[in-house]
Amino acid sequence: MTDWTLSRRTGLKAAVAFGALMLASGGVSAQQPTLKFGLAMPLTGGQALYGNDQVKAAQWAVDEINKKGGINGKKLEMVLLDTQADPQVGIQAVNRLVSVEKVPVFVTAWSGVVKAVAPIANDNKVVELSVGAASPDIAKLGDYVYTTFPLADVDIKAVANYSVKDMGKKRAAVLFINNETGIPAAAVYRDTVAKAGGQIVASESYDQKATDFTGPLLKIRAANPEIVHLQGLVSESPQVIAQARQLGINVPITSYSGIYNPKLIEQLGAAAEGVIATSLAPGVGDLPAVKEYVDRWQKEVGRAPNGLPYTQYLYDAPVMIAAVFSSMDKKGLPMTGENFRKEMLALKTFDLPLTGKLQMSEDHTVNKPVYLVEVKNGKWTTKAIVGQ
Amino acid sequence: MEYIVTIIILVGLFVILAASFDLIIGYCGLISIAHPIFYAIGAYTSAMLAKEAGVPVPLAMLIGAGAALVSSILVALPSLRVSGDYLLIASIGFQLGLIELAKHFHEIGGAGGLTNIPPFLIREVGREAYAVLVVVIAALTVWFVRWMATGPYGRMMSALRDDELAFSMLGRNAIWVKVSVFGIGSAIAGLAGGLYAHYFRFIEPDQFGLLASSAVLTMVVVGGMRTTWGPVVGAIVLQLLPQAITFFGLPPSVLGPLQGIMFTGLVLVFMFMRPQGLVAASDLWRGREGGARHD
Repeated sequence: MTDWTLSRRTGLKAAVAFGALMLASGGVSAQQPTLKFGLAMPLTGGQALYGNDQVKAAQWAVDEINKKGGINGKKLEMVLLDTQADPQVGIQAVNRLVSVEKVPVFVTAWSGVVKAVAPIANDNKVVELSVGAASPDIAKLGDYVYTTFPLADVDIKAVANYSVKDMGKKRAAVLFINNETGIPAAAVYRDTVAKAGGQIVASESYDQKATDFTGPLLKIRAANPEIVHLQGLVSESPQVIAQARQLGINVPITSYSGIYNPKLIEQLGAAAEGVIATSLAPGVGDLPAVKEYVDRWQKEVGRAPNGLPYTQYLYDAPVMIAAVFSSMDKKGLPMTGENFRKEMLALKTFDLPLTGKLQMSEDHTVNKPVYLVEVKNGKWTTKAIVGQ
Repeated sequence: MEYIVTIIILVGLFVILAASFDLIIGYCGLISIAHPIFYAIGAYTSAMLAKEAGVPVPLAMLIGAGAALVSSILVALPSLRVSGDYLLIASIGFQLGLIELAKHFHEIGGAGGLTNIPPFLIREVGREAYAVLVVVIAALTVWFVRWMATGPYGRMMSALRDDELAFSMLGRNAIWVKVSVFGIGSAIAGLAGGLYAHYFRFIEPDQFGLLASSAVLTMVVVGGMRTTWGPVVGAIVLQLLPQAITFFGLPPSVLGPLQGIMFTGLVLVFMFMRPQGLVAASDLWRGREGGARHD
């Protein structure tokens, strides 16, 4: 049955190619093969809200590249498949991309899927680009797994260093949620503060389902810190901050990209003043291209994208892939995953339209400037840009 | 073709799961949907033994199945002593509780999942060999379930399912039959878990939750409960259908909702059009000799 659909698809492709050949005019020759890359994102299920917006961003970028003449005259083609953000569905999607569509590189996101498909990328020597998942162990998944998105430790390190070195707060306390989001990040925070010459005076955690945080907050208050770092989820963080303020903890509170959200200010009102968060992508005020991009969303879709920074990274992924393809094509290298990896590491630095400079490094992590944002007069404002 | 090999392996694994689940819910009439947790126990036990203790993979898989057997008996013993739906409640509690617990154990990967599980057969012999192994085990499972259901044990299960009181009146030990069937079915699921872990090499707690339960249940219901071929047909159809529709080149705006409603749609259609499933079971117990018996 699969063979039948395969041959049917191949037939269909041949027909399309033939049609394109008939219509071909101008610089783009249809005889030249298209350069393909894969995209495996959640299009259905609970995460589809984000997945679809990210796919739209990637599609815009591909259209833009092709409108400008493609890659040395060749068309860039994106093969899109659904992962439902589910590891098992993701495995099937990526197998399909690798063994049926034969792409040299594919883009995917959501930590579970990124990890589940890593063996496929490594076994077949096809490059997996993780765009958006932040789990620190993504750096250790193998030779063919790279991320274009800074992993969780990048912004935590930035905020910890900034607190100690630039703000001069030597006595720091950390409060974290007792799960995957909180535990590893809190450890990174503690290490960074200690290395920067600060001191951790309290390290407290709360349960995932807690609604009252008085206990850990009182312990933190007793330790008398100069700054408090909160590593929680977007759901309970506002409450934690509100309770901290009620208990008289008036020192600055820092957090990470998870709470960088207009909702926080709506929920907290005046209590949000002075809260510092991080963003891993330039905002509307930082880069004119980002403003244009958000305006385009408003105009064409009628709303801002869900998870704006992530869509910025997804927009930039095809741009980066096109740069590597272009360089491979000029050198006449066969379009294999092995060559893609070599060429990507040789190029190393990419100037991307919506997320700025991207630097690939040997240890499979990326260094990005971290945007520290602070609530001032009821608005998120950029406080500092911390380069790595 | 890795794509096709992987699909064969997934279909095979779901045939094992659905057939062993049919033994529990169909033939024995034990209401439990926590089958995937025993799949998880097998997968995690086997993966951890092979990864951390260097136990040879086949042995690790068998120990995984053993772990599923022991834990299923521990769940079933207290809950099956009382009658009714207690097994359902106890097993769901066990399933969700264990998943939550696994998310907090960093030694087994926590919520982020367990990566770098040692592979088996793939490097030495090839992916096709693994597919053959899975298909052989799936065939053995189907044969074993059929053998159990058509033998004296099947008659006991059938009698127990239809009238537990009458069954006990005949001097039979109902609890023993229920616990042993639950244990055997769960052990088979545990073996499937080991087979999953050493091919896909990544497992995470969330993939063994209620969604997985509903997938296996749908396979058994759509295929046909209490039949040899029902779970097989159900597993094949429900694994291949989502794959097949991606080949028709539909735009994501159509493909997304289509995949979303396919499972629920199928269940609804079958409830109204063919409640007995694709393969219908006969009302009477049939022995190995063929004809219906009224003994």
